[in-house]
Amino acid sequence: MVKYKKIFKKAEEEKIEALELKIKKSNNFSFSFFNNEINSYKMSNSFVISARGIYNGKMGTADSEKYDKNTMDYIIARIKENAMLMDSEDEPLIFKGSKAYKRKNVFNKKLAATSAEEKVKKIKSLDKAIKKASDLITNVETHYYEAAEEYTILNSYGLKLTSKTNYALVYSSATADDETGETKVQTAYRFITDLDNIDEKIFAQEIVEKTISQFGSTPCASGKYKSVFSPKVTGALLSALLSNISAEQVQKKSSLLADKLGQKICSSKITVTESPLKRNPFFRYFDDEGVATYDKILIKNGVLQTYVYNLQTAHKDGVESTGNGYKARGKIDIGLVNVAMKPGRLNQQQLLEKLGKGIYIDEISGTHSGLHSQSGNFSLIASGFMIEDGKKGRPVALITIAGNIFDVFNDVIAVGNDVELQTDGYEVPSILIKQIAISGV
Amino acid sequence: MISKNLATEVLNIATETGADFAEIYLEEENTASIGVDNGKVESCNDSLTYGAGIRLLKGLQSVYGYTNDLTTKGLKKLAKDLSASFFGEREIELKTIKKVRAGKKHLPKIPYDTYPREKIVKMLKEASEVMKNYDESIVRTTAQFAYSNKKITIFNTDGKQFSDIRCRGRAALVAVASKDGKIETFYRAPGAQKGMEFFLEEVDLNQSAKEVAKSAVTMLSAKECPSGKMPVVIGSGFGGVVFHEACGHSLEASVVSKGLSVFSGKKSEKIASNIVSAVDDATIEGAWGSGNIDDEGNKTRRNVLIKNGILNSYLVDDFNGRRMNEKGNGATRRQSYKYEPTSRMSNTFILPGESTPDEIIADTEFGLYAKSMGGGSVNPATGEFNFAVNEGYLIQDGKITHPVKGATLIGSGKEVLLHVDRVGNDLKREQGMCGASSGMIPADVGQPTIRVSEITVGGTGGDMNNG
Repeated sequence: MVKYKKIFKKAEEEKIEALELKIKKSNNFSFSFFNNEINSYKMSNSFVISARGIYNGKMGTADSEKYDKNTMDYIIARIKENAMLMDSEDEPLIFKGSKAYKRKNVFNKKLAATSAEEKVKKIKSLDKAIKKASDLITNVETHYYEAAEEYTILNSYGLKLTSKTNYALVYSSATADDETGETKVQTAYRFITDLDNIDEKIFAQEIVEKTISQFGSTPCASGKYKSVFSPKVTGALLSALLSNISAEQVQKKSSLLADKLGQKICSSKITVTESPLKRNPFFRYFDDEGVATYDKILIKNGVLQTYVYNLQTAHKDGVESTGNGYKARGKIDIGLVNVAMKPGRLNQQQLLEKLGKGIYIDEISGTHSGLHSQSGNFSLIASGFMIEDGKKGRPVALITIAGNIFDVFNDVIAVGNDVELQTDGYEVPSILIKQIAISGV
Repeated sequence: MISKNLATEVLNIATETGADFAEIYLEEENTASIGVDNGKVESCNDSLTYGAGIRLLKGLQSVYGYTNDLTTKGLKKLAKDLSASFFGEREIELKTIKKVRAGKKHLPKIPYDTYPREKIVKMLKEASEVMKNYDESIVRTTAQFAYSNKKITIFNTDGKQFSDIRCRGRAALVAVASKDGKIETFYRAPGAQKGMEFFLEEVDLNQSAKEVAKSAVTMLSAKECPSGKMPVVIGSGFGGVVFHEACGHSLEASVVSKGLSVFSGKKSEKIASNIVSAVDDATIEGAWGSGNIDDEGNKTRRNVLIKNGILNSYLVDDFNGRRMNEKGNGATRRQSYKYEPTSRMSNTFILPGESTPDEIIADTEFGLYAKSMGGGSVNPATGEFNFAVNEGYLIQDGKITHPVKGATLIGSGKEVLLHVDRVGNDLKREQGMCGASSGMIPADVGQPTIRVSEITVGGTGGDMNNG
């Protein structure tokens, strides 16, 4: 970190009142198989320095992936110029530090030490197992993705925080054709902590089952249905709901959860937590402003417990930052890490039995356009199964589910115990809801 | 950025274990963004993207790596590491590299870095003011501006060096309207591969601001959209996202070559109604998705994808083209050096037909008028697509009646184009960001007003036939 010292010195000379540098060094490694032949192999190392500084009472920012003799001048000149354009009334804040940080060593040394050859061998075997699991499978693609990151925050007040993380993910997609020429494709993924413990058979069965069980799927009749949503669907809708607990959205009147603190906002079956300190690929012990993170309850038995804050929004409301300041789009936004919904007692089968007659929604797509977190309205393409007498019946596809996320979470009758870790870090179970509007035929 | 000699050395290291092709892609991009929230400048950022990607091909295998370390040592190390994934003998050796001139069709008249940022701020504040003053239900406005100047250089083992400069600018306006416990947002984001002249001479941001605010306010009073199968009139411009999703992605060699697309092996077959012709054209001067060359160095083209309903051409990159015995047709793109390039769309649109938009509406007894579309997605293997209607109206007895909200159009790409029964004469393109395996890239979607005789509309308002 010695080499960054001169940037702080120069910043001081240039009348920058306080400076913060964030340095990220990443190493990625990935490869993929197509029909058991390796067809892509990637490796990379990259660097980015992100700087923020207070100049003339305003905050200016700049990022650079280049680090050479000109970088210091680039950063300082850009900070000064950008600060001069700012006219936000918000007081610029660079953080002096939290009292204590709960640093943990989450770096998976075994994963890092395993050779590339070994990884390729293990994934090839997994890819083969998928193809072997059914004669109907025509194509299999399996991707392995591994990332390691070293992250450091330094600032003029002497704050210095570092973290080192890594993770690996395997992701497969299987295509199947039936005798009528109908094509189905499904995907499955796993986060990998130990390559020796990949549940090859279970993974292969899961994806194959998912793919071929969709053969013969057709739309169901339009109407309102009692429904179970899979963990994936629950996660997507919950993520949209929680974007409304951002203090920035609340302060700027863009949240339907404004003035709802301490009030019931959804079914009493729902309890949601944020656990950034949980040991998993998303672990964070400080946010992008250097504030110590902590585990907290967001919604308890349906009652909203807190909004989440970065330094700026906390200052405005006269509270402490909740350690949720994460960088996005060139500024410090508000984000959540390791969100979990508290599981209920019923497994998925029991949940379907409780549903009795209705529909199980397994997959949705198009959340980036069909799910509006601010109005809460959604209308999404979906697929799943009809449920008769508590059992999975015929497959259903090319339907939409539509409604409002606030209504959905109000209508939850039961929460399952089949928690799954989603690729965005949400750990969520299936939910049983009173009714959902379906468009089909 | 690096010399021909160094490029030659690096490429020869990359191919020493038997790769039959290698390429270095170098990139330096300056991006600036300014964000005005509720009339105040709340963010202002500069960012410098800088790095190189090296790609090795051997038959149907590709190896890719990237780094920001563009020193001799850094590039040689990357080439060496990548070559270690092959185990053969050298097959090719590069002797010399020649510069290929690509033309400079899309250069800005008023480069952004020569235009005072204070004036951009002023423009954004004015637009914010227009949105805020449109109606008292407007509770929040944001106006953002981003521009970038990207320089790329490509060296490959065919002994060629290419370079291109891409300057883009885009404004994004968002209005949030709120009333009686309801919130609606609306946005518009015009952009081009042009300089500041685009915002000074070609688009009227204040007019866009007014329309954005109007749409957000209109949607506050929208009724629930009826659901079920019905005729849908899809408005011009961003309505082209229908074609982009339902068909365009499934014509990309990345899926076609592996037999993973509904349109694999369908060349010269009828895939759309006779009145549908569509192109992907990266040569349009100053268009958002244009380029002089693609990201493999091939000259961009106007590719006719569908001609009078018949599948005419796929979008092909050189690598996936190997599986199809086809050469790349100038359609290879990537977000940055961090992505391996592949076949992608640029400016993709349905060509104009003969009907006027008014005639199409008047000729529709009952249906949905999807005036403004949001984004969407597609599963290329099954062709199933979905996209959101941001601003929709009910058509009754040939007239537009009331606004409806919460509608999604879903269907199968194989069928929707066959059901197009009217094509308007009002072709318009609009700007979007398209995401796929080679990252997020700027792409124009476009079309004239069209009518699809039958499409599944997903909404909350229940079946229209049962009230």
